[in-house]
Amino acid sequence: MVGSSVSATAASASPKRNSSERELVEALRESEERYRMLLDGIENYAIFMMDAQGQILSWNAGAERIKGYTSDQIIGHNFSRFFPPEDIERGRPEEVLRIAAASGRYEEQSMRVRKDGTRFLGNVTFTALRDSAGTLRGFSEFSHDLSESKESGAKYQALLEAAPDAMVVVNQAGEIVLVNVQAEKRFGYRRDELVGQKVKNVIPEGFAERLIADGARSAAEALAQQIGTGIELIARRKDGSEFPIEIMLSPLESAEGILVTAAIRDISVRKEAETHLAQMEGKYRGLLEAAPDAMVVVNAAGEIVLLNVQAEKQFGYSRNELVGQQVKNIVPEGFAERLIADGTRSAAEALAQQIGTGIELIARRKDGSEFPIEIMLSPLESAEGILVTAAIRDISVRKEAETHLVKTVRELKRSNDELQQFAYVSSHDLQEPLRMVASYTQLLGKRYKGRLDSDADEFITFAVDGCNRMQGLIQDLLAYSRAGTHAKELCEVSGEDALQGALTNLRITLEQSGAVVTHDSLPALMTDETQLTQVFQNLVGNAIKYRSTEVPRVHVSATKNGDNEWTFSVRDNGLGIAPQYFERIFILFQRLHGRNEFEGTGIGLAICKKVVERLGGRIWVESQPEKGSTFYFALPERAERL
Amino acid sequence: MKMIGMDATPIEVLLVEDSPGDVRLTREAFKDAKVHINLHVASDGAEAMDFLNRQGKHSNVPRPDLILLDLNLPKKDGREVLEEIKESPVLKSIPVVILTTSASDADILRSYTLHANCYITKPVGLDGFLEVVKSIDSFWLSVVKLPHEPRS
Repeated sequence: MVGSSVSATAASASPKRNSSERELVEALRESEERYRMLLDGIENYAIFMMDAQGQILSWNAGAERIKGYTSDQIIGHNFSRFFPPEDIERGRPEEVLRIAAASGRYEEQSMRVRKDGTRFLGNVTFTALRDSAGTLRGFSEFSHDLSESKESGAKYQALLEAAPDAMVVVNQAGEIVLVNVQAEKRFGYRRDELVGQKVKNVIPEGFAERLIADGARSAAEALAQQIGTGIELIARRKDGSEFPIEIMLSPLESAEGILVTAAIRDISVRKEAETHLAQMEGKYRGLLEAAPDAMVVVNAAGEIVLLNVQAEKQFGYSRNELVGQQVKNIVPEGFAERLIADGTRSAAEALAQQIGTGIELIARRKDGSEFPIEIMLSPLESAEGILVTAAIRDISVRKEAETHLVKTVRELKRSNDELQQFAYVSSHDLQEPLRMVASYTQLLGKRYKGRLDSDADEFITFAVDGCNRMQGLIQDLLAYSRAGTHAKELCEVSGEDALQGALTNLRITLEQSGAVVTHDSLPALMTDETQLTQVFQNLVGNAIKYRSTEVPRVHVSATKNGDNEWTFSVRDNGLGIAPQYFERIFILFQRLHGRNEFEGTGIGLAICKKVVERLGGRIWVESQPEKGSTFYFALPERAERL
Repeated sequence: MKMIGMDATPIEVLLVEDSPGDVRLTREAFKDAKVHINLHVASDGAEAMDFLNRQGKHSNVPRPDLILLDLNLPKKDGREVLEEIKESPVLKSIPVVILTTSASDADILRSYTLHANCYITKPVGLDGFLEVVKSIDSFWLSVVKLPHEPRS
């Protein structure tokens, strides 16, 4: 079909041509007839003939398919239109024919342009056709589209598509031979817009220099130096916008010569992150210096990468001596263990467990002296990977203070215990001789009253009275020294039960005075029952004891005060107290009344105060003379022994 | 069998007490007793055990019908004396009344655990003390029947 049309067209299209041409056409017709069937069957290769000037004389099916022209459209036209415009401009078509004519045969891999303007990399062989006299008659061109080549193209294309990066294959002339879908997306061009283009249209700078040999080395050498190295360059999209890329180059030996495969990765995100981190690090360095603590930044290998002035001072090293050193040189033990992962957890997890926790360790100065430190660790994502920031505080002073405090507390407790013991022992042991004095003066009084003179009787009376009072004081002192010390386990105590217990103990007093004691609902507390009873007993007892001329009325109530506190009140209609005595009445053996008015040593409120305070509470009074008093005491709902 | 205290036979009481004042007070108090009491005194724990075991100068003393025992004593503590008495097959039948100034719960519990027959805290006042001794007299020496063992 094609063959016949070629001949027909050639005949009809060339009436004006010279005779030599016609002769050639005739000569060729014969051979063409012979090969027509063969040529028609070939679709993978473009095969056509042209005259010495490049006018196309024949056209096969492969040529139509590959180049896009029908024979009608192309026969009689010059073959130069298959070249890219820039090649035409520099006279490449003529040059090619000249070389072919001179050497008989010329083969090249180079860009060709289809009818629709798209480009492809062709493998093209020109053969000069000469007659028997050796006169150049024309040329045959035998070419195929390399991207279609079964051996290199198809397989290679599949490989390219599988790659996650944009892949661009470039020939020695810097022309794009193959691309994958990623490359199309990345650069915003269609495949046919990219293939055949100079690679510098999409990667304007640097790429060519990486490939092109200078005078001293071959392209292969130049390339070898780049292989496996990530090269950062700037790429340009179809819309003109630019973006940072990293290119990995590798050579590809092909039938068509050495090609270069470029794997192109868009690194805009990474670049942005790096920029961000660089800024962060800049700020971070500033912060580091501003920190009051010694700050040391350590990498995953335990090496110090950054430190501040405070760290230099604290450890006695200069910055240069520390950077790059193992952190264990200054914090010998425990630090590495805090960072390094064991089998069951990752480094990140190990670190996460330490964050925000103050760890107490021992640090070592340049001079070898050691000092206690507290370290706070926090992770720092950086361009160099995860770093660990350690804020290191010298806690020598705090440690000393702690030791001192512990010592003082121990000392205080010892002296307190001693005092307690002293009060108990002295009151107990004083009791014995006093009991003798008292017993025998009393016996003296019993046996000899009225048998001596009146002076003797009076002296004996004073001696007995003094002994009685002293016994009272010593007993109260003993009671006070014991109050709140021989404490029982705290338990749930009903306030009403405690009050009832107190009233039972006061039964005789209540009966004799005719007092009326009322109360509101009282809460249950976690406290010491005996002691709460004692407080009620002392307060109600006082309310009755210091009564006015009226019948004593006492009212007990309680109000909740905050989350964990109850305030109890014991209100009476008694004598009342002047404000200047509000503090004094709670002091041991302080009394407001003479012994002739009221009995007692002044121990009751002192014991109340001691007991209430030991249960974590407080006690106070509100009163006016002649208007009655209200004693308050606040206790925690759940007491803890102090 | 003879009824102790109801005939002319005096009742033998051993008072283990280091304070002469208390010894004298006890003696004074027993003066008004309803029964005839022979009050023997040991001024420390060691002497009390010698008395009970009839050792040394105490070889001819009678076996007491009642022991009044103070706890805080020189040489041998009253608690040890109590323990030894109650561990002895011969002595353990003698009633022991603890008469001490201690009012501590620990002393009370320990004494009863060691089989003291009763525990009395010495009252601080004279009247109280006289009352206590009178009670001992009327209860232990009059009301109670004490064991009688042949005196060898």
